[in-house]
Amino acid sequence: MTATSFARACALAAAFTVSSVTAASAGDYSITVDRVALETGDFAKTAIGYNGSSTPTILRFKEGEEVTIAVTNNLAEDTSIHWHGLILPYRQDGVPGISFDGIKPGETFTYRFPIVQSGTYWFHSHTGFQEPDGAYGAIVIEPQGREPFRFDRDYVVQLTDAHPHSGERIMRNLKLMPDYYNRQQRTFLDFLNDSRDQGLSAALADRSAWGEMRMMPTDVEDLQGFTPLINGQDPAQNWTGLFEPGERVRLRFINSSAMTYFDIRIPGLQMTVVQADGNNVQPVTVDELRIAVAETYDVIVRPTEDRAYTVFAESMGRTAFARGTLAPRSGMEAEVPDLREPPLLTMADMGMAHGEHGSMDHGSSGPRAPQPTHTMADGTMMQGMNHGTMDHGAMGHGAMPMAGTDPFYAPGSGLTPQAADGGKFLSYADLKAQKPLYEHRDATREIELRLTGNMERYIWSINDVKYSDAEPIRLQYGERVRFKFVNETMMTHPMHLHGMWSILDVGQGKWNPVKHVVSVAPGTTLYMETEVDAPGEWAFHCHLSYHMDSGMFRKVIVEGGPAGKSADLPAVPQQTTGG
Amino acid sequence: MRRHVLATAALIPTLFWTAPAPAEPLIYGLQVEQAERRFDDGSDLYAWDFDALVGTDELKLIWRSEAEYLTEGSRFEKLENQLRLQTPISTFFDAVVGVRLDTPRGEDRAYGVIGVKGLAPQWFELDADLYVGETSFVRIEAEYEGLITNRITLTPSLELDTPLGDDADLGVGAFAPILEVGARLSYDLLDRAVAPYIGVHYERRFGETADLTRAEGEQRDNLFFVVGTKMLF
Amino acid sequence: MNHRLYARAVAAALALSLSVAGIASAQMSHGGGHGAAMSIGQPGDASAVGRTIEITMHDNYYEPETLSVSEGETVRFLVKNAGAIVHEFNIATAEMHKAHEAEMQMLVDHGVLMPDRIDRAAAEKMKTSMGHGMHAAGNSLLLEPGQSGELIWRFADAKDLEFACNVPGHYQAGMMGDFRKAN
Repeated sequence: MTATSFARACALAAAFTVSSVTAASAGDYSITVDRVALETGDFAKTAIGYNGSSTPTILRFKEGEEVTIAVTNNLAEDTSIHWHGLILPYRQDGVPGISFDGIKPGETFTYRFPIVQSGTYWFHSHTGFQEPDGAYGAIVIEPQGREPFRFDRDYVVQLTDAHPHSGERIMRNLKLMPDYYNRQQRTFLDFLNDSRDQGLSAALADRSAWGEMRMMPTDVEDLQGFTPLINGQDPAQNWTGLFEPGERVRLRFINSSAMTYFDIRIPGLQMTVVQADGNNVQPVTVDELRIAVAETYDVIVRPTEDRAYTVFAESMGRTAFARGTLAPRSGMEAEVPDLREPPLLTMADMGMAHGEHGSMDHGSSGPRAPQPTHTMADGTMMQGMNHGTMDHGAMGHGAMPMAGTDPFYAPGSGLTPQAADGGKFLSYADLKAQKPLYEHRDATREIELRLTGNMERYIWSINDVKYSDAEPIRLQYGERVRFKFVNETMMTHPMHLHGMWSILDVGQGKWNPVKHVVSVAPGTTLYMETEVDAPGEWAFHCHLSYHMDSGMFRKVIVEGGPAGKSADLPAVPQQTTGG
Repeated sequence: MRRHVLATAALIPTLFWTAPAPAEPLIYGLQVEQAERRFDDGSDLYAWDFDALVGTDELKLIWRSEAEYLTEGSRFEKLENQLRLQTPISTFFDAVVGVRLDTPRGEDRAYGVIGVKGLAPQWFELDADLYVGETSFVRIEAEYEGLITNRITLTPSLELDTPLGDDADLGVGAFAPILEVGARLSYDLLDRAVAPYIGVHYERRFGETADLTRAEGEQRDNLFFVVGTKMLF
Repeated sequence: MNHRLYARAVAAALALSLSVAGIASAQMSHGGGHGAAMSIGQPGDASAVGRTIEITMHDNYYEPETLSVSEGETVRFLVKNAGAIVHEFNIATAEMHKAHEAEMQMLVDHGVLMPDRIDRAAAEKMKTSMGHGMHAAGNSLLLEPGQSGELIWRFADAKDLEFACNVPGHYQAGMMGDFRKAN
């Protein structure tokens, strides 16, 4: 070998090294977890925040990068950070008691994992009630290639439901008195009004039906009395995103609330939804959308006029709203709409006729779109009706959902969303993956999970068993599991599986959207499928903080898989009792 | 009696057991149903009725205290303290076992208690207890929270305490009950933590119990105007 | 039939457009004030083609995103759908695109326009049930993934003219481009 050729070989080797380094670039990040002051127009309290601020931290990653995140706990109690929606080794998932032991006071824990995806996500504490107390932030991951949409401005719009009470106190109050925070209960005065409007006997019959069940039609939000914030700012502080007329503005909506669903609209602008839960969807233009707790939606708006627009997010129970502004110049404001009338649950939301639906096949070849578990469109219970006629899966692609209906709500549900101006309201049925992540195949097995609870005791559970009494759900690496959620409660549950994607069955086959949270409305059955491709132990729970912490939670154990991947899976403990 | 106490002590550690990730927090609180002054002609009295509780979904330990303190003569007409263990037996009802110690002016008494507590259809809160002692009693309590508005509540209540035997010391006759009915109009002043109220409270003794009361020179029924506050912490 | 011819035939067949697309090739008058008639141009003759422009349609954007054309120029557009879902190449004004999108939405609602293909049977059914015909319009190409098509256009006043995909949502997501007037 000559000197020149040796030098050339060295140069080549060096070039290889360099290119492999750039291919997997590394990023170092650090986060401190601190006690911070939170002030809203309604209350001031000591909360928890990241990097010393009640304004949520935004982490910006790049797809393909290997991130190292040093998290320093400045609290007097343990903490943790869960990277919500990120696909990563389970030891990095940040759930105390499942992925790791948590981060002790004064300790710095270093997370390290590759970024294998792009889009909008978020992070939050998975310890105690730190997330409702303010421990949340946003994650924005830039893709390696170009996005399948265009935008000139890019804003994170992170919503939360800040509450004057600490999470620990809220949980305790709910346990002592489940309607502690419900200030929208039906009163004697409402009864008088209803008697006048519907007649005394109808009003009495209605009160009697609810009283018999000991449930409340106003029980839409377990937790009221919160102040909705956008990026840490209350409606008066008015978070503002600037634009030049004609520009496309990307809004990354993240719902980091403990308990609150929001209906979001921007009067005067249509929103084109381009991403749901971090994954691109085929663009769909809507006037309004509902964001479940822990979901994200990215939308493109294109304001052409030289004026301000209000970003208006009403809570689903209509007890409060978040408000921000898009404006050509800061300080501008647009009209802020009034809250609409609060919804009332109907008997359709009550889960009266759950169970099997005649001869319908619920196997993996069965109906693909959700079916209502029962229907009471007129508010009365219907016994023995033919559920086959309600098979929305059979409607297929040609179906034209009528205005005011949404196959993901029970027919006659009081929660079915309606756009404020009569326009288009986003439905799960509108979501189609832009580019399927997985090859479409039939599920290898179905697991039924009944979402159950006892509102009066404020106990939430799955299959009537709460987490502390439950066996883990065991999955085998390589399976494609079809989860059947049967919501037997009157609440809406945003179900979140860690570590693996939730392919929401909207009846679109390979185009079914890929999510990390699927919201199951009262009185409905919903299916999602999961390609079991991540060995380890994962959390699987309702993302409503006080449902999760009162038992609507499971540990999922993925067994098997490539040796390297599952190497750090701990030994399976001996099971002594059945759950 | 001693055996009861030991059984209670043995159960206490399980109350403090919590599950890992997510941790189900300990449930504890103080629910004051009545803390009031009762005005009558001349003989005013103070009364309270509260539950202090600690536990889990599965098992709660409750300290229940009910008292009537007469200003005239500075004496407790009634002073009951109970330690109750409560566990769910159905969707809306709990079973209760416990002990009760009465230490008013006069005769002290101890009872064992077994009962049910829960929410009946149409939102009636029910307590039904059998107190087993020297003389045993059956006590049934019912309460309804009627919302006039979302902050103003009218709470009618009823308590029927029926002795199962004659007891001259307590001034009761077998199956001759003591009835208490009330109606309290409260306003949620501070969240649900403090809700002051005004109302009426009516007590009446029946049968032999009424006769024994009259023999003591007291009326068989009393009507009070009450002022007080509910509390929840 | 060679590959190119076949593609062209398919493209023509798939240039599914309802009435508005028909207007597109004709004169269009702006309702507003000045009353000046504006023309978006019209389908051109192959013999008059002075230049060929290749357009690649991706999910969901064009490459290139800006084109320069002159008044009176006849251009051959060779359009390839390199994406995984159906896209359109449609020459019109922003207003016309908006109206056209509503019609495309009907195709979606009737199961004609699927994410990655066009259901011809459903199209026939729709035609029968609605009485609407779908006809090729000279200003647009609707292409399934992997397909290519050709469109010859004679430009008039290129002012305010855009090329866009009117598969519902695509335009708003940014799948459009501007024609600039070349000097």
